[in-house]
Amino acid sequence: MMSNLLICISLVILAPIIGGLVYGIERKVKARMQRRIGPPIMQPFYDFMKLADKRAMIVHSAHAFFGIMHFVSLWFALGVLIFGGDLILVIFLHLMSTALLILGGFSTRSIFSHLGANRSAISALAYEPVLILIAVSIYMVTGSFDISSIFDANVPVLLYKMPLAFVALLLILPIKLKKSPFDVAEAHQEITGGAEIEYSGIFFEFLYTAKWLDYVFCYALVFIFAGNNLILGAGLVIGTFLYINALDNSTARVNYRQMLRFALAVALPIAFINLLITIF
Amino acid sequence: MELRKFRKKSPWILHYNAGSCNGCDIEILACLAPKYDIERFGMINTGNPKQSDILLITGPVTKRSRERIVELYAQMPEPKVVVCCGSCASTGGVFRGMYNIEGGVDQYIPVDVYVAGCACRPEQIIDGVVVALGILEEKNKEIEKSIKLAKAPVIEESQVNRREIAGTIF
Repeated sequence: MMSNLLICISLVILAPIIGGLVYGIERKVKARMQRRIGPPIMQPFYDFMKLADKRAMIVHSAHAFFGIMHFVSLWFALGVLIFGGDLILVIFLHLMSTALLILGGFSTRSIFSHLGANRSAISALAYEPVLILIAVSIYMVTGSFDISSIFDANVPVLLYKMPLAFVALLLILPIKLKKSPFDVAEAHQEITGGAEIEYSGIFFEFLYTAKWLDYVFCYALVFIFAGNNLILGAGLVIGTFLYINALDNSTARVNYRQMLRFALAVALPIAFINLLITIF
Repeated sequence: MELRKFRKKSPWILHYNAGSCNGCDIEILACLAPKYDIERFGMINTGNPKQSDILLITGPVTKRSRERIVELYAQMPEPKVVVCCGSCASTGGVFRGMYNIEGGVDQYIPVDVYVAGCACRPEQIIDGVVVALGILEEKNKEIEKSIKLAKAPVIEESQVNRREIAGTIF
């Protein structure tokens, strides 16, 4: 029990570092998929150190505060997830961190910031219902919203019990991670980063690190589908990682209407059918 | 730990076309493509002045773009360097003296590296950016101080010359 607690605490503290490594490996893998050499794996940390040295320019204090709180609330959500808390609470906290980013985007007068915040809100609208349905399905299987109950020995592995929920999760993960074809919220070539455009220096660092935390959060969500089976969990995470990068490299961006239609017309019914199957 | 040495490892680029014929621009894009792949040095084309370190400018300064150049330069947080890509951005090139052209970029903002060529080759751009990284590492707070212009600008052969009029640092 004590060692379990220590592992949880160290995982939460090390989460940004793990996320940075994931991001570094992802940039490398993506470059190799395009037959490039790619940046070194430690590149996100070099960026981190460089951003710390840049002059801090803020638009206004509330804008900077929303950026910092976006990072803090996301870290808190990840902490609740790792400590095995309530799944609904985790999803709510993650939504709150997105909402803080949206508020930050709307608090400036930059049109790109507004567009990005708008599209972030639409993305949240696209993936949130699916996540909630997946959480309810997990409740139907385990009898509890607590994530720690998934890891009980007598609960079946979620992947075998509800494979359709995993399919639905795979369909919405590119929206959550802002990957092509569903990267309308970030869209670097189009609205140059969206809601994060007005952040600079040390304040952009919070958003940059929050992006790493988002990776850990999403892959942790994938991991809980394997339950106690650690090897299956590692396989699922690596498979999802490769799937997301291959999808990111091979597809072009769709517009937000197509994204919303896809999420609500394809991913949501799959999650709903899965819920019906788990009930009966 | 010295934070200064990390500037060299992750330079983020802001590319601005100040009225170029698009020749230098496609060479810059060729640098990002798989053959030259400048991302292996950690460079990203951000397109966002508030998060970038290097301002890559192509083309001569037109009357329309001069305010935007100064605006972009002012929006970039220090430390920053400016690299002029191609003959036009350095001196005005073949467009020098035309009615809508103001001359090189150094008429309006301080330039650190001039990359010659029409259009400049991707190898030259990479060389120029590497020289700029050396300058970026040496920049300190003293350089970041603003200077006040002491004299009125000189106009010779229809070009505005602001090179010799920089006054003392206040």
